[in-house]
Amino acid sequence: MLARRNVRQSRQFQQLWRSFSSYGLHGSREAKQDKRWPGWEVVVGIEVHAQIKSRRKLFSGSLTSQPGEAPNTSVSAFDAAFPGTLPKLNSKCVELAVRTALALNSEVQPRSTFDRKHYFYPDLPAGYQITQRYAPLAKGGFLRLAKQGIPVRITQIQLEQDTAKSTFDARRRESHVDLNRAGSGLMEIVSEPDLRSPEEAGDYIRTLQAVLRSVGSSDGNMEQGSLRCDVNVSVNRTGAPLGTRCEIKNLNSAKFAMMAITSEVFRHIELLESGVPVPQETRGFDEDRAETFKLRSKEDAPDYRYMPDPNLPPLLLTKEYVDRIRRTMPELPDAQRARLLAQGLSPRDADVLMAVDAGREVGFDGEPGRGAVAYFDKLAQGRDPKVAVNWMTHDLLGQLSARKETFGDNPVSVSQLGELIDMVQTGKITGTSGKTILRHMIAHPSDSSPLELATKHSLNAIASDDGVSLRVWCKEAIEALPDVAEAVRKGNPRVLNRLVGSVMQRSRGRADAQSVREMLEAMLMNSP
Amino acid sequence: MPLRQPNAAKAFSRSRLFKTNAALSTESPWEHVFEGRNTSVNALVSISNRPASERPESSRVGNLAIAVKDNICTASMPATCSSNMLRGFVPPFDATVVNLLRIAGADIVGKTNCDEFGMGSLNVNSIHDPVINPHQVASAAAVPWAERERRSAGGSSGGSAAAVAASMCDAALGTDTGGSIRLPASYCGVVGLKPSYGLISRWGVISYADSLDCVGILGKNVDTVKTVYDAVSIFDPKDPTSATTESRDKASTAARDRIQSFDFEEAEPNLSGLRIGIPQEYFPAELDSTILDSLRRVIKRLHSLGASVVPVSLPSTPYALSAYYVIASAEASSNLARYDGIQFGSRTSLPPGADKSRPGAVYARTRSTNFGSEVQKRVLLGTYALTADAFDNYFLQAQRVRKLIRSDFNAVFRAPHVLSSPPTATPRISGVDVLLHPSAIRTAPPLLRGGDLGRASHNDGLGESSPAAASGLDTYLQDILTVPASLAGLPALSVPAGYGADGWPVGVSVIGQWGCDDLVMRIGHVVESTPPCA
Repeated sequence: MLARRNVRQSRQFQQLWRSFSSYGLHGSREAKQDKRWPGWEVVVGIEVHAQIKSRRKLFSGSLTSQPGEAPNTSVSAFDAAFPGTLPKLNSKCVELAVRTALALNSEVQPRSTFDRKHYFYPDLPAGYQITQRYAPLAKGGFLRLAKQGIPVRITQIQLEQDTAKSTFDARRRESHVDLNRAGSGLMEIVSEPDLRSPEEAGDYIRTLQAVLRSVGSSDGNMEQGSLRCDVNVSVNRTGAPLGTRCEIKNLNSAKFAMMAITSEVFRHIELLESGVPVPQETRGFDEDRAETFKLRSKEDAPDYRYMPDPNLPPLLLTKEYVDRIRRTMPELPDAQRARLLAQGLSPRDADVLMAVDAGREVGFDGEPGRGAVAYFDKLAQGRDPKVAVNWMTHDLLGQLSARKETFGDNPVSVSQLGELIDMVQTGKITGTSGKTILRHMIAHPSDSSPLELATKHSLNAIASDDGVSLRVWCKEAIEALPDVAEAVRKGNPRVLNRLVGSVMQRSRGRADAQSVREMLEAMLMNSP
Repeated sequence: MPLRQPNAAKAFSRSRLFKTNAALSTESPWEHVFEGRNTSVNALVSISNRPASERPESSRVGNLAIAVKDNICTASMPATCSSNMLRGFVPPFDATVVNLLRIAGADIVGKTNCDEFGMGSLNVNSIHDPVINPHQVASAAAVPWAERERRSAGGSSGGSAAAVAASMCDAALGTDTGGSIRLPASYCGVVGLKPSYGLISRWGVISYADSLDCVGILGKNVDTVKTVYDAVSIFDPKDPTSATTESRDKASTAARDRIQSFDFEEAEPNLSGLRIGIPQEYFPAELDSTILDSLRRVIKRLHSLGASVVPVSLPSTPYALSAYYVIASAEASSNLARYDGIQFGSRTSLPPGADKSRPGAVYARTRSTNFGSEVQKRVLLGTYALTADAFDNYFLQAQRVRKLIRSDFNAVFRAPHVLSSPPTATPRISGVDVLLHPSAIRTAPPLLRGGDLGRASHNDGLGESSPAAASGLDTYLQDILTVPASLAGLPALSVPAGYGADGWPVGVSVIGQWGCDDLVMRIGHVVESTPPCA
């Protein structure tokens, strides 16, 4: 039964596989030796199904469901396949898929069409899924792997409906169908068989996930099932023609995909070494045993009876439309990193900001989420980018993480933090006071400006009173620590820091450490 | 895997949506209007419980009593599609057409009998039993109803045609996929319009074959049909195949200019300059020769009013019927996949002891039990046509034929097709304004006599004497003259044009270019006013 739960088209992949193997032995990639399987070559291609982050479903006006929602609450008559209902394409889904295509350097087709893929299963109420079998939304393209830098060619990107979810209650021996997910928009992203190891496959999945998140087209959340992978694996002796491929269905993390590929490679090698040809089949992955298992052989492959959908007219996208999406879409990770470095940020700072963004909530329908890079961009306007990023990464993020909060919880507005930075830069408050005020703003969110807070808490810098307060605190410190003062007088400057610390404590951070040091030195050297 | 009532089905539980409707109760306010005629004709399968409104004599749509085919959704009455599969199904919404009629103030009097899911040409494939053609042959006026000759009302919109013919309503909505309005209109002696594809919304119409399905209108006369048509022919954003306002305007502006060049308002309009084509392929060997007399009379009249009548050729016509059955069946196999007993469709459990481990067996049991034999036949045919091995030779081949049929029509019409021609295309002076041909190859075929009116599931209900009874395939011949316009999406109007030698009605069809529905109806009006015996 499990086999039928995630039936996906594989014929297409077979054809692409064949056409690929016909023009060169292994395409553009060099043979790669792997210590784990010397003398063998591994070829992997991946089909990813990513849920489109749209507020509404692909062909019905109903809202997409959120995790944890009660079953069968986000359902329209169309989603339930009521007789008499008709599909209506959601333009937001198209827009997000076009963003994805552009991010993957794929060519958006001026004309794409919708087809029906038929099979009977309780989680498919219409008895067919609307997909783009014959003329997909976008063709070609590539994704450069984040870690390994290798370009992996994209075959095509198509729009399709997600299915409902069926679960089996073993205790009551009942099947349950939840239509909340039925009809949500998916992007199917098919790669060429350009990957050569489990690690490259993992890199591909993670890189793709980051790209989808950065353009806002999917939240790519594998745990919640909004990104799912089918991998195609074949193994051959180095220099020999491609081996027979097996497809492993429905892997729901990059880690499991890598484990499944590794296990599959060893299985193929074992068969081939014992002289048994690998049969072409579709397999599942048992996460507990870290093994793949047979779902069905090539002979049992279902015939999906693809048919052009007679209700949906072709999707026609003009060059102007695609250009508009290109102009207005969010920056891609590569470009963003380059821009941040050009502003003078260190690679580490850029990575920190981008890593924060990678974990943020992706907005619906491509609306920008509350990201750290966007925050930085505003903060750095009219300020030194390096100072701005230091305040963000060291102080703001540091204090948030000390409170076990994320950037999403940040209550400090760009203008508040900006004003705070300006006050420190102009000497109105000390850096230490600035940090105190920031901590206060995080702990007690309000609209108060940092200047108001500084005044309220008497944290304005004391530089303006001609050193009167400073002189008093220094005197008190020397009197409180006579032994230390004596040591300094006798030419041991290293213990001066204890006196400086004492003064800072008395000033509650308002004093400037360098001024304190100078004042103390003057007082101790000039008096007996 | 045991398939028990899943959660989703519970969400749309029978108690809320699938309630049993007492529509056929004898207390219906419409019963006295029908005066028991429905019992004889079996045209209506649900009758409205809403009282009839006051109806002054006037042709406004708000003053009309309208019946609706049982494959069109109404929130107040079931929509069974004459199938066991949807027995008792009450949709949670009104179709756009029904909604438009209600807003205009029309009375929806009931739901009409039809062939199961619109599949059939004789209205004998119905869980509600066949519709009996209400026509009375002049010589049989004195014979009691029960002893009269029983003939088919045609299908699949047989109930709609019969309800109009028996004066149970002013007009009726039907659907026409390959002739399902024009054929019953012809057999029952009423007017039946299949509009251009995309002009009347299909939202809320239970699909048989989406690319061919058209909602249309049956009425006593062309004026009534036009009144209803004008009320429901508007763009519907809920139907992705609904023609845009822009395309409608483009086509109707061209048609209006043409209409204004003739004085159609006159009783004897001057039609000089109007060109009428007679397609030579529309006179197959199976055509009953006595039907030609009626057609000749109509042609003579049009000619006498000044129209030029010219022979034209639509060379791909002989392939139309095969292409139609492949496309319609393929789409049907897809559209009817939802009736699997899980979400929709009456579920029939496996017999005790049956192997429940194969889900296929569970589906097969429900679908074999609750679909009638004609539906099963077409679902199987369509399923085959879509299999990977047959797709090219059947489905794609049929689509190629469909293209040829379209270009055949475009080659003879004066007006360009606004949806497929460049915007600059100009009328071809040598082209024809409309085509004219017999609506059917014969008058209404006889039904089997006796108590067994044929559940239609194992018998097509035709009398032994009928040539159509010889084999199942012959039934499909009924559609030979109507499917080309369906494949091309063109407006086609069947108008009564006298009687055959057997005294039963004969229809003549007028076909126009896409969007020229008004012109088709204007000419239909002239055809309608042709004196019975010239």
